[in-house]
Amino acid sequence: MKKMRLTIKHIFLISIAIIFAFPFVWMVFGVFKTNNEIWQEPYKLLPSHWDIAKVVESLGQINFNGYMLNSFYVGIFGTLSILIVALLFTYVVVFLKNKNTNFLFVLVLATYMLPSAVTYVPSYVILAKMDLLNKLNGMIFSCLASVFAVFYLRQSFLKMSYDFVEAARIDGANDFKIIYHVIFPMNKSAFYTVGVLTFVQLYNSYMWPSIMINDDKKFLVSQGLRQFFIQDGAYGMNWSEVMLASTLTLLPVILIFIIGQKWFVTGIVQDSGIKG
Amino acid sequence: MVKVSKKHTIRLLFVLPFLIPLFLFWIIPLCLAFAISFTDWDYLSADIHFVGLYNYVDIFTDSDFMKALINTLVFGLGTIVSTIALGLLFAFIFQKNFKGHRIYQMIIFSPWVTPAVAVSLVWSWIYEPERGFANFILGLFGLQPLEWLHSSDTAMLSIIIFTIWKSIGWTMLFYIGALERVPRSTYEAAEIDGANDISKFIHVTVPLISPTTYFLFIINLISSIQVYDQIQIMTQGGPGGSTTTLLYLYYKKAFQNFQMGSANAVAMVILAIIILLSLLSTYVSKKWVHYE
Repeated sequence: MKKMRLTIKHIFLISIAIIFAFPFVWMVFGVFKTNNEIWQEPYKLLPSHWDIAKVVESLGQINFNGYMLNSFYVGIFGTLSILIVALLFTYVVVFLKNKNTNFLFVLVLATYMLPSAVTYVPSYVILAKMDLLNKLNGMIFSCLASVFAVFYLRQSFLKMSYDFVEAARIDGANDFKIIYHVIFPMNKSAFYTVGVLTFVQLYNSYMWPSIMINDDKKFLVSQGLRQFFIQDGAYGMNWSEVMLASTLTLLPVILIFIIGQKWFVTGIVQDSGIKG
Repeated sequence: MVKVSKKHTIRLLFVLPFLIPLFLFWIIPLCLAFAISFTDWDYLSADIHFVGLYNYVDIFTDSDFMKALINTLVFGLGTIVSTIALGLLFAFIFQKNFKGHRIYQMIIFSPWVTPAVAVSLVWSWIYEPERGFANFILGLFGLQPLEWLHSSDTAMLSIIIFTIWKSIGWTMLFYIGALERVPRSTYEAAEIDGANDISKFIHVTVPLISPTTYFLFIINLISSIQVYDQIQIMTQGGPGGSTTTLLYLYYKKAFQNFQMGSANAVAMVILAIIILLSLLSTYVSKKWVHYE
């Protein structure tokens, strides 16, 4: 009886997994198909030739490297800066708190529900005034205050015993040393989780970059992908190459996710203790 | 002169790198957006006039805006309710660890990690009326093919299905965490009282995971009202405006037509909806959400 229930569970989950994975699988196979094959036999899942040489050739044609590099730059430097800035702020809010910092935290709390899109017009104008439009650093700067990161780190810091910080202070450690030797190692999983989520968010972002970056040398991958998709005029001109470009775009996030999933998934599951 | 303490300097030094961008790109823009919504600013010209409530009266008497408002509500209802319900269902299946549960979880979660633009392109092929896979599947069940993104009747439905597919994994992970925290003893106590599976679910599980449900409702509300990427790629708000949401309208007004006043009035309506709904759900949560 128990065994049967487990079997039913697996059958159900396998069909669900197929539904969730299908678009990816189909996209990757599409890379190997010729355009004719895609149009004439659309329901055939597997390509008739696994022609790697052809894929390498179109890889050279689609010129996607620049966009990937831009996105990596924004993703990596953006994530590191966001983590550092949020860490310093949260450290003060949790371990050096006074009346003023409590007020600041309430202010941050209020912004949590604010949809960022509502502020796009004034943010655009402010960036323009600072001469940061069309610049990848401008993109990073405008995303620097991550309210989410502060929240997540705060939850994690609060679970830590205050004694460790006190003990370090009595031993004569300054705030930088405390952060480096106590706070960081004790909250590693929270940093990883926030780091991966922030990277994914920056890498995937589309609306804000497509508003503030117009120079196509500075495009992020999502913008580049769309550009590539519409440049031939009509939709669906060269599906095989569209699939290749999409696969390339997906690859980094999927890889990071697979490598990091152990602590990343458990991080969300365990750290998401929501308190009122 | 008062000597500023070292602790004070450190505090200031540590909070400023966060506060400067917070003020520049969140708090000041919010105030400015509110102010701009009462003007006729067109971005290009220097003279700006205060027009009072004109923009608000204008959008509320505009049929395009009303349509976008309804589209946003339909999208919100369609995605939030199904994402939460299905997310909970999947979390239930993973309540007890079994062989391979990690792999299933990963597959269900993977759409959430991937860029909306890239997967939207693939889905727009799946939705292709003549040769797409969606109609192939319908055919297997003997159903009539649909026009999907090409018809104003089904375009919104197509976007909703895509969005649910993309966001379910995230919701599921939060529920898995919440279910793990429900103490076994509570279930055992209910069993002694003669509760069956269904009444255990209604009287034990639902109340105890209600803080997570509340949190997920708010998170999904904010993200569903900000949907843009998939709409821009798959339909550009069409056909016939059937997938134009409030944010899409905002984008068009602000960055295509340069009607900054009108666009920011739309932004304020978006903000008002979020504040209103979250106040409402806080009120409801006082009655229904149980914190240990």
